[in-house]
Amino acid sequence: MKEKLQNKKWDEDYFHSVRKEVLKAWKTGHNLNLEEAFSYQKQIPAEKNFSKKLQEADEKGITLTQPRAGVALADKHLELLTYLEEKGNADLLPSTIDSYTRHNKYEEAQVGIEESIAKNRSMLNGFPAVNHGVQVCRNITSSLKSPVQVRHGTPDARLLLEITMSGGFTSYEGGAISYNIPYSKNIPLEKTIYDWQYVDRLIGLYEEQGIRINREPFGPLTGTLVPPCISHTVAIIEALLAAEQGAKCVTVGYGQCGNLIQDVAAIKSLKKLTKEYLKKAGHEDVLVTTVLHQWMGGFPADESQAYGVISLGAAAAALSKATKVIVKTPHEAMGVPTKEANVSGLLATKQMVSMLKDQSLLNVKEVELEASQIEKETNAIMSKALELGEGDLAIGAIRAIELGILDIPYSPSKYNADKLFPARDNSGAVRILDMGNLPFNAEIKEFHAEKLKDRAKIENREVSIQMAIDDIYAVSMGVLIGGRNAI
Amino acid sequence: MKQVTLVMGVVGADVHAVGNKILNFVFTEAGFKVVNLGVMVTQKEFVEAAIEAAADAIIVSSLYGHGEIDCKGLRDKCDEAGLKNIKLYAGGNLVIGKVSFEEVEARYKEMGFDRVYPPGTDPKTAIEHIKQDFGM
Repeated sequence: MKEKLQNKKWDEDYFHSVRKEVLKAWKTGHNLNLEEAFSYQKQIPAEKNFSKKLQEADEKGITLTQPRAGVALADKHLELLTYLEEKGNADLLPSTIDSYTRHNKYEEAQVGIEESIAKNRSMLNGFPAVNHGVQVCRNITSSLKSPVQVRHGTPDARLLLEITMSGGFTSYEGGAISYNIPYSKNIPLEKTIYDWQYVDRLIGLYEEQGIRINREPFGPLTGTLVPPCISHTVAIIEALLAAEQGAKCVTVGYGQCGNLIQDVAAIKSLKKLTKEYLKKAGHEDVLVTTVLHQWMGGFPADESQAYGVISLGAAAAALSKATKVIVKTPHEAMGVPTKEANVSGLLATKQMVSMLKDQSLLNVKEVELEASQIEKETNAIMSKALELGEGDLAIGAIRAIELGILDIPYSPSKYNADKLFPARDNSGAVRILDMGNLPFNAEIKEFHAEKLKDRAKIENREVSIQMAIDDIYAVSMGVLIGGRNAI
Repeated sequence: MKQVTLVMGVVGADVHAVGNKILNFVFTEAGFKVVNLGVMVTQKEFVEAAIEAAADAIIVSSLYGHGEIDCKGLRDKCDEAGLKNIKLYAGGNLVIGKVSFEEVEARYKEMGFDRVYPPGTDPKTAIEHIKQDFGM
């Protein structure tokens, strides 16, 4: 019997009763033994543990590089990750999961695996870890030198977690909001909060065994001009929900918007706010690190131009002291990249973060002002969400999304209010053109309106939705602000 | 003149919503009647919506690479449902890996699509083609 949804640590017996059902969903889950999984994780050497590598980077103040990568077949997948590790000097490795698995369509993933064998090329856009099962995952994670994370976009990621944690992965991306609203059409938030409580509770159980699994809420959301206050609120909520179930190592994320001051300020405020909210909730023992995702919107088709975008993102990550940076490739405009293109993106990024390792923009006055603006906005949304939940964050998050207090632009989900429209200001920073129902005071509203009026004046046009549409195409056309020409 | 009716959506398990929202906006502005099915649309849903709306064309988007699996057999389903001459358009990141657009176009035409578009196509191009195809 399902208990009433609230932000409260699950009882262990209850967890195990749900677990029985979760493991039935596909044959690779049927005989999964948790005690055996704990023993396997305990013998993984420290240098292959994601949390430990992040903690070291955090202490040293350096930025680690991580690609995205995943193909259908296990041998090809291992070959790909080995190549990225050896030729691309990737510090952290991924296994990007295919889209059928993300929607729990394991039968279709099986067709994808069979067609990939028949056609001798990957017919899936990622690695179908559930279909491959625990042993195949162990072969992969144990053959690599670096820690490996599961990166996906799965609203119900419970079976995927069971298999991959038992399979030796040590980090798990996603969250109840960040892997629902930007990744699905019809799934109620109640369902994903519940399913991700399961995920976080299992990670808590690993933690209780002395096995630290890193948890990363997905920062960029729809990757389309998401204002920092929106992605920060989601990251903080998911960090708090994870901590409640016992997770102790959280990496909060943000997708590069393109204005360097705003990007640095976003990482700065994200770390500060997440720590503050965790502390307030009694979780000050949670290690908080940060990740910056290089530009998640449309890329220029030209590879040299793409390197420009990649390098700007790398600079934002290094200058904000993000703990890691997720790297794009020069093939981004065309879809899933070749391994060579992936290495090129990694090496360009590594060069930038190494050169900028001893420089920081964190204490520049403009960054401080922008960070304080982001903090005011995030606090406004957080406090309204908590109020709506009458103190319970799980309920508050659901009501906030429902009412558009928290509104994620360009989402596929019918549960999102879809009233908010972002647009860039005259310096390319992302502002809010239509506030929808965001709970902002007059001062914050005025700040955004003024910024957009300034842009409209320079461009000799009205502030309109057309501005927002132009902004979506701008980077792929070679500029940051929509409707302008490259110099 | 009769208004051209388009059924559009993102096929398969693909949730890329941004282009879909923009295409909906610009096709409507261009004067077409748009039935937008949004993201994660099955072949069956495309066909049923096309019958229901007496559509002139089905516009299929795919951004995530599984397009080849997702689009296979759509033309046959249309034929079976009595949508004999309905125009089929496809656009986006239609395959996995770096494949020349000529090759992609050939694969999709083989599957029965009338027009195929690479990523980053200006929506105006598609609007012009739709007008040509329906003698507007």
